[in-house]
Order: sequence, then structure tokens, then C-alpha cells
Amino acid sequence: MELRINQKTYQVDADADTPLLWVIRDDLGMTGTKYGCGLAQCGACSVLVDGNVVRSCVTPVAGVVGREVTTIEAIETDDVGKRVVATWVEHQVAQCGYCQSGQVMAATALLKNNPKPSNEQIEAAMVNLCRCGTYNAIQAAVHDLAGLSATKGEA
Amino acid sequence: MNNSRFARTAGWLAVPCLIAAGLLAWYVTREPVSPFESRQVAVADIDPALVARGEYVAPLSDCVACHSVPGGAPFAGGLEMATPLGAIHATNVTPDRETGIGNYSLAQFDRAVRHGVAPGGRRLYPAMPYPSYAKLSDDDVRALYAFFMKGVAPVKQANIPSDIPWPLNMRWPVALWNGVFTDSAPYVEKAGQDPLWNRGAYIVQGAGHCGSCHSPRGLAFNEKALDESGTPFLAGALLDGWYAPSLRNDHNTGLGRWTEPEIVQFLKTGRNQHAVVFGSMTEAFNNSTQFMNDEDLAAIARYLKSLPGDHQRDGTPWQYQSVAATKPNTPGAHTYETRCASCHGLDGKGQPEWMPPLAGATSALASENASAINITLNGSQRVVAAGVPDAYRMPAFREQLSDQQIAEVLTYVRSTWGNRSEAVDAKAVSKLREHTDPASSSPIILQMR
Ligand code: FES
Ligand code: FES
Repeated sequence: MELRINQKTYQVDADADTPLLWVIRDDLGMTGTKYGCGLAQCGACSVLVDGNVVRSCVTPVAGVVGREVTTIEAIETDDVGKRVVATWVEHQVAQCGYCQSGQVMAATALLKNNPKPSNEQIEAAMVNLCRCGTYNAIQAAVHDLAGLSATKGEA
Repeated sequence: MNNSRFARTAGWLAVPCLIAAGLLAWYVTREPVSPFESRQVAVADIDPALVARGEYVAPLSDCVACHSVPGGAPFAGGLEMATPLGAIHATNVTPDRETGIGNYSLAQFDRAVRHGVAPGGRRLYPAMPYPSYAKLSDDDVRALYAFFMKGVAPVKQANIPSDIPWPLNMRWPVALWNGVFTDSAPYVEKAGQDPLWNRGAYIVQGAGHCGSCHSPRGLAFNEKALDESGTPFLAGALLDGWYAPSLRNDHNTGLGRWTEPEIVQFLKTGRNQHAVVFGSMTEAFNNSTQFMNDEDLAAIARYLKSLPGDHQRDGTPWQYQSVAATKPNTPGAHTYETRCASCHGLDGKGQPEWMPPLAGATSALASENASAINITLNGSQRVVAAGVPDAYRMPAFREQLSDQQIAEVLTYVRSTWGNRSEAVDAKAVSKLREHTDPASSSPIILQMR
């Protein structure tokens, strides 16, 4: 089947129900998208499909044929994505970094759909898990991007 | 004088009493006649073609689901089941001569399978679905016997005695139950129905024993109807913490919106655009329905689609409604968006046929909410189709969500996208949480399947 990923066209040979995550990582070798739980619980595998965040471990690959997939590898080609990454660096958000490609995806999707989210909207959208507990840094970075005044470093 | 009159009266009364007791004793221990009485076959002479036929009839009847334990030898028994009186265990049905059924004649095997009577007249408990297997044809019983004698490896494994205390463990009253609630003739083709329908009726009522889970039961734990002549037949029932939905043409809570090919697809692959197997049906799929041939599946679909629904019970026909632009800002909606929407979609439509829709789902429309609660707490078992486990599985939220959160999110699911059913109460969640916790003092153990 034919997939559009990061503005490129790929021919992949996979069963229709193969999770998109396996195709991205194993077949196409783009390993920036991470595997955490495989059960839609953690968000490490988040990618954008037509600008919306989806968890690729629970997305059958057949479901994204004809749609535009964006992974962390190309997030900086998107204006919003580029700002998110820069702000992430500025706030030194990452610890081990394993969850961060998913976090950046979630933040980018949020800000693309809603450039000025409220605190509640941020809390509702930024639900990926981070084993290192970088939640405060994530919150500060997203508040910064949303133009909300800096908060105390409490979740 | 008075004394002697009393003695005489008592004497007169004793006669009919003794006769009645004698008749009763005969009735409750009698071995029903089997057409195979005079036709015993030597195991060595069994035709391999018949064994092969039996190898098909056995999964059609889903024998292995109860007569094995996970990880144990097939058909060696041991599965624990609850009865209102105490726990019983499925028996060893391998051809081992000491602990299994290796010494059974064909007639004895027939009496056990179709009448629930073990050699010597001892009654089986109706956890063995002989009220359904009674419908099996002579040919299929012969084939099953051939398979169990020659196609199954003997395993020496002693049966576990029931823990039902005396006197409740006496088996003979079951004979009276059988007399009232079972019908012991094999399936008779119905005139005026085509062969496909008749084959479907034969499988659904007989080998498939669909009614064991899907038909409501009466006070005596009897299925309220054993075939299409009774409207409770396959009308949906609560069992073992799951709600087995109606298999009749109910638009909301049954198969009303399913086509015959969709029913076939569901039984063959475990999924279709409406639903994915879960709960006890996962085992029925993993062990039984996927092994049925296309013709038998088509027959089942034809028969089920002929069972009328009941508007009264089913309510206003469900129709999809999109969520308003101003999304509800409730805790239930929030939990849904963060925990459920990745798979089931913000629009509730799922990703058919991999992740089932919740919009219009039977479990979200039925007034019984046990299935919705149970699967949210405990997730789904692995669906194994053609030897391959599926890639997507409902995770367990037991450790992640509180009773209150589960009640809220299910209330949201049951009142969105056109779904209109009662809110879920946190108490119902905590009750099922307790009963489905293997470490609890009152876990659900299987009752009947
Ligand atoms: S790996 Fe996909 S959500 Fe965890
Ligand atoms: S930075 Fe380590 S898991 Fe999030």
C-alpha cells in the first residue's frame, strides 16, 4: 500500500491491521517515534495524521492510506512544530527523552488546532505519560507557547 | 381397636407409598434408552473418516472450553464452575480408562452427552449443556464418540470432586429437573424452512448451545426457551459478570443492524464493523466459532436473522448523532477523550473492524451495564484468529480509574452519539470490581457456558 509520511510517498508491504507504529519504525526505519505500552495508554508513539495527534500503536496502517502522516523526524518543517521544539530546548524539558517525541507531537497538535489554549485545555490535551516526571517542565513550556503567564513550578 | 384400625389404614397407605417410592427410585436412576444400545463398536474398528468428522463436531460443540483448564492437557477436565449449591469441576473426557471415559460404550457416551446420565444412572449437573446437546443427531454423536476414543490422547488425571455438601450433593433430583425442563429428542427438521435455516437451527440450538449464555434463565436455572417457539430464546442474559446480548433481531440490543454476511464475518474472524468479540465470547470464538465451515456459519446467520426482535424491550431505534460543537465539559467526557478516544474515536465510531465503535454498541444500549463495566475494569482477553493473536486489545483500567471515574466515563458513553441508556452508578462498578478480583472473598467463577 502507499503511505504519505513526512511529505514523502512510501510503498509498504504490510497487513492492513499492522499498527502504524511498526511500519514507521520497523519497515521504514524511522525510530524517533517510540514504543511505550502498545495499548494507547502512554502516548510515546504519538504522530500527527492530517494535523491531529493519534497513537500509532493502535492505528491500523490501512486507516492512514490517503492521509498525511507527520512524525518527529519532520516536525520542524511545520512552523508550529518548530516553535515547540525550540521552546522545549529553551526550557530543557527532556530528561531521558524517551517520551518527548510524543510530548512534542501532542503539544504541536494542540497549538495547531488552538493557538491560545486555556490552562484547562492544556491539561486536557497534554496527557502523555513521562516516567522521568518532566510534567512541570512540559507545562511551563506549553504555557510559554500559549502566551500564558509563567506558572509556579507545580503541576 | 383403634390401634388396629390405624395399623390397617397405615398398611393400606404404605402400599401406594412404596409403589410411588419404587417408581421414583426407578425414574431417577434409570438409564434412558439409547439408539446405540445394540450397536456397540469396537474402538479398534472406528473408521478414521468418522474420527475426522468428530474432530469437526467437537469444536462445533465447544467441548474444550470447559473440559480443559488454561495450560492443561486438552479435554482432561478440571475447570471450576459455580452452581448455586457449590463448586463443581468439569471432568476428564479423554479416553483414559481409569480417570477418563475410556471404558464408555457408545450408548453410555450418548447417554452422558444427550441426556446427562453417567454410567450407572448417576445424573450429571446441567452445567454440562445436555439440554442443548439433546438435539444432536445420531450421526454427530457417533462421530463425537469416534473422535474422543481415537482422536484424543488419553490423559491420566483424576476428577476433582465437587464441594457441594451432603445432602445437596445427591444427584437424583436432577432427574426430576430434567423431566420438567428438558426435551430429549434430537432436532427434527422444520417443514417449510429451507435446509440452510434448518442446519442453522440445529447448530444454534444443539451443538453450538448458544442459549446457555444468551437465553435468560428461570428460577430453577433452566433456560426459559430452548428453541424459536419461545420468545425468551436468545433474548439476552446476564451470566458470570457479563451480559450476553440478544441474538434476535433487536435493532439496538440484538442483531437487528447486522446482515447475514456480517454475522458470518464476526463468527469467523472475531470482528466486523459493529463489534469485536469480548468477554466470554472470546473463548467461544477462540475455541469454537472460527473453526466452523462457511456453510455452517451462513446457516447460523440465516437462522438467527429469522428470530424477530421485540420493540418493547428494545426501545426507540438507535440513530447516530454527532457530538455538539460545544463538547460537554464533564469529567466523563474528559476521561473519554484522554483514555478512550485514541482507539474508539472522539466520534465514538471506533476504527472498524479493528477497534469497535461505542456509538450504537450493544453494550452501550442494553440496560444491563455489566459488560461495559467488566471490560473497562478488566480489559479483553486476547482474540486469537487462525493462530495469530490480534494486534489490538482493550486494556484493563482497574488500576488506573476509580469506580467513580469508570461510572462517569461509561455514563458519557451511554448517553452520547445517539446512545440513550441509563447512567452507571459507581456502586455497580465497585461491586463488579470486587467480584472480578481474583483475590477477593467472593470472586465470580464460571457458572455455565
Ligand atoms: S505506545 Fe502507543 S500509547 Fe503507549
Ligand atoms: S523524559 Fe524520560 S520518560 Fe519522559
